[in-house]
Amino acid sequence: MKKKPDDVFIYPGTWINEDARDFVATVEDWARKEIISKRLEYQKEYKKLFHEKRKKLLFDIGLDKIILPEEYNGFGWNTPERAPDLFSIFTEIGKADACVGFLAAVKYACFALVSMEPDIDKKLLDDLVPTYFAEDPKDVAIILPGPGIMGKETPLFKARSIMANVKSTKAGNTIEGKDLRPTGGGADAELFCVVCADKGKEACIGFVPADAEGVKKGAPIKETGLDACTNADVSFDKVKVPSSYLVKRKAAVQELYVWLNLLFGSTSLGAAMNFYEILYDWADTRTIKGGGRLKENPLCASVLADVAREISMARISGLGLAHIMAQSGERGGIGSPGVYTFAQMIGSSMQKSALSALNRGMELMGSAGYSKEWHVEKHWRDIKTIQAYLSGVGSDIPVKMDIARFFYDTEEV
Amino acid sequence: MNSFEDFSRPEEYVSPGIKYFRMVLRDLIEKEVMPVRKEFDEDWEEHKLIEPLFDKIMGNKGLGTQKSLFPEEVGGWGLGHSDYLGGFAYAMAEEVGRADTGFAVAYLVTLWPLLTILVEPYVNWRLAREFAPMFCNSDKAVFAAMCMTEPQGGADIENLELLKGKTIRTTARLEGDEWVINGHKLWPTNTGGVADLMAVPCTTNPGSDNPDDYALIFVPADTKGVTQGRPYEKAGMAADKNGDIWFEDVRVPSWYRAHGPGTDAKVFMKFVIPLGNVGSMGMLVGAMLNLYERLYEFVSTRTYNNRPLKENDAIAGLIGKIAGDIDVCRIIGHEAAMIIDRRNKPYGKPLDSAEVIGKTRSMKKFIADTAVEDFGLAMDVLGVYGVDREWDIEKHWRDIKMIQLWMGGKQLCQMEAARYFYNCETL
Ligand SMILES: Cc1cc2nc3c(=O)[nH]c(=O)nc-3n(C[C@H](O)[C@H](O)[C@H](O)COP(=O)(O)OP(=O)(O)OC[C@H]3O[C@@H](n4cnc5c(N)ncnc54)[C@H](O)[C@@H]3O)c2cc1C
Repeated sequence: MKKKPDDVFIYPGTWINEDARDFVATVEDWARKEIISKRLEYQKEYKKLFHEKRKKLLFDIGLDKIILPEEYNGFGWNTPERAPDLFSIFTEIGKADACVGFLAAVKYACFALVSMEPDIDKKLLDDLVPTYFAEDPKDVAIILPGPGIMGKETPLFKARSIMANVKSTKAGNTIEGKDLRPTGGGADAELFCVVCADKGKEACIGFVPADAEGVKKGAPIKETGLDACTNADVSFDKVKVPSSYLVKRKAAVQELYVWLNLLFGSTSLGAAMNFYEILYDWADTRTIKGGGRLKENPLCASVLADVAREISMARISGLGLAHIMAQSGERGGIGSPGVYTFAQMIGSSMQKSALSALNRGMELMGSAGYSKEWHVEKHWRDIKTIQAYLSGVGSDIPVKMDIARFFYDTEEV
Repeated sequence: MNSFEDFSRPEEYVSPGIKYFRMVLRDLIEKEVMPVRKEFDEDWEEHKLIEPLFDKIMGNKGLGTQKSLFPEEVGGWGLGHSDYLGGFAYAMAEEVGRADTGFAVAYLVTLWPLLTILVEPYVNWRLAREFAPMFCNSDKAVFAAMCMTEPQGGADIENLELLKGKTIRTTARLEGDEWVINGHKLWPTNTGGVADLMAVPCTTNPGSDNPDDYALIFVPADTKGVTQGRPYEKAGMAADKNGDIWFEDVRVPSWYRAHGPGTDAKVFMKFVIPLGNVGSMGMLVGAMLNLYERLYEFVSTRTYNNRPLKENDAIAGLIGKIAGDIDVCRIIGHEAAMIIDRRNKPYGKPLDSAEVIGKTRSMKKFIADTAVEDFGLAMDVLGVYGVDREWDIEKHWRDIKMIQLWMGGKQLCQMEAARYFYNCETL
């Protein structure tokens, strides 16, 4: 491997805040030393090492508290200006293991709703931080709007079905929903962040501790990738939550999507960038046609070019999104229609690019790319899983409808 | 449209025998394989669940497919003498691929090397008689493997037209009336301890590009000097085991060579490549038919904008494309099978011709690329449910990717198509 990916996948590095660079370097160091350089060992004892390495990142390095304000012993990175920094950090994590990035992304996006300036919700943070930021990873699972069920009309978030609802009475708030499918990690989650509809059919977000009365998890689900995080359906049977556990701010759901698009996008990008390194070595040393190096074959070189192009585009557009988010104050905030639309648009195309890079590059690797030993197939399955989660339902059609709404004032889709 | 069976196929290509065979096979697959296929992934190493299923489809007490190619005189079905060989191969692959392409490849690869010695006019009667009891008299599934790929690469060994066996490192030396084989193969279907019989492409003169030096030699797996490694862990295709095989001074009788100088390379080109392509296409289309079934259910029972997904014009655009692709791919698959079955007709083409190789390679590439794209798309249509094994689509997505990559990979397909269509000389 002659070149560092950062040197070839050129990007506007100055958009990363000066004071974040050391931390990005620390995470990069963690990724290389703890996982990338020990791939075989990591693969063989995956479940055990996943937890060990992740703990190191979350607690020794401190990533777990990155979203929290300083007064909660956090980094104080709770402003949108940190989006480019987070983009870089999650790219580094994705290079090592997209599953680590995925879980951290979900937690960050949920807590961003209540930690982000100027919407810091002290009451909720006082309640949640001691439990969910303790010295053992506490995971969060999100339930987003998605497919509805025939014969059951539901409130909608931009045409996607909201499958949970919240009833607020003088006696308190109860959340209900049956067999809801989280965006990953439902089996192990200790806290759910669920998009629900209120009486007026408006979307809001509820935080539901997994041990609250009435929360019932289903059987573990076998899924394509992200092997270290098991999913399960969850039902809420009249689960009581305090009012402070509901985020009713206008555009809160949009904000959630914006952060998820950025962080899932950078995680998948990281996995694709690590694949580039693996593919580089393969193409450099593998010979075909009786002795010629694979990368010197024009047809193979053209496939290698496609891989590099997809990754480059994803990186530049992803950092572009981070930059837009950093300046979102000028555009009406993170949940504003413009930022939301760009996040959906760029987020889905980043996933497509990352997956395409893997799909095309694997064409050159024969069986090696398909075997667990090379780690390529893991990146491929993980990216696909994140992509499918993010699409929610209907492939990229809901996102296209979001785009049409923003650019063409389409109203009925 | 009522069922997956309504996807187009040229009816006149499908013989009554194939129709009947499909019915019996489908019945078996529906009863035995479909209900348990979701558990195959966890059984990848032990095959505790999978192995008995092979007995039911391949063994004598079951359907007995493992004897299908053998002449009737030695207890087989005589498929090697049939004008419907391609049609049968395609049907076998499509029906089983609908349930599980890993399962399909494992049972079909047993027939793959046997093609080289059991298909008219290349029947090697001595070997047919010698191997018949092994396959025709067993109630248990008996497996064969076609061991081409070597550590330095599989594509070159399958690129026989250009490289003519020059890169093969596994050697065969004739000593008296025995072949002595040395070398290392990896990845063949039904290795990792499964195969009972292996067909091993060797060179009798390392580095030579003279097709006469290409020797296809049959090696019973229990021969002294054969060592099989443990199966590799893969992204999918759990019902197929693949591993390393080392041959260390392995001695087999001289008549275990398929035919002899020149003819071994010829039968490899005639049967292994074109029928490998046809089988691959059948598996892919089978999986795509099942994609349609599962997608149909999802888009009919789940909603977007409070209407069935399939009634949304934009989503209908996507699923319409997927169905259209399946329709076209199925026609192509049948046409590829007919290319095989026209071989003895006046208007047929020799199976080792650049035309047949180029066309079947590019047809397989087309269907594989389409399947990779459509399965990915379908997973996203299901969204959070797309990655759920319960919906079957994700498993097919993991499995079928390998069909795009095996047999030398996609780029080799492109090269062989270019070679034929544009008379390229150096590809
Ligand atoms: C489930 C499964 C089943 C398998 N079954 C069998 C089997 O039954 N028998 C067997 O022998 N092997 C089998 N294999 C191995 C498989 O066929 C090989 O992996 C495949 O042929 C590619 O070989 P390779 O991996 O050595 O890659 P290489 O030969 O190194 O090729 C790598 C890549 O180089 C490129 N390339 C190669 N040649 C050219 C060219 N001329 N022009 C341009 N680009 C080119 C292609 O992109 C190719 O994918 C199986 C593998 C799996 C996973």
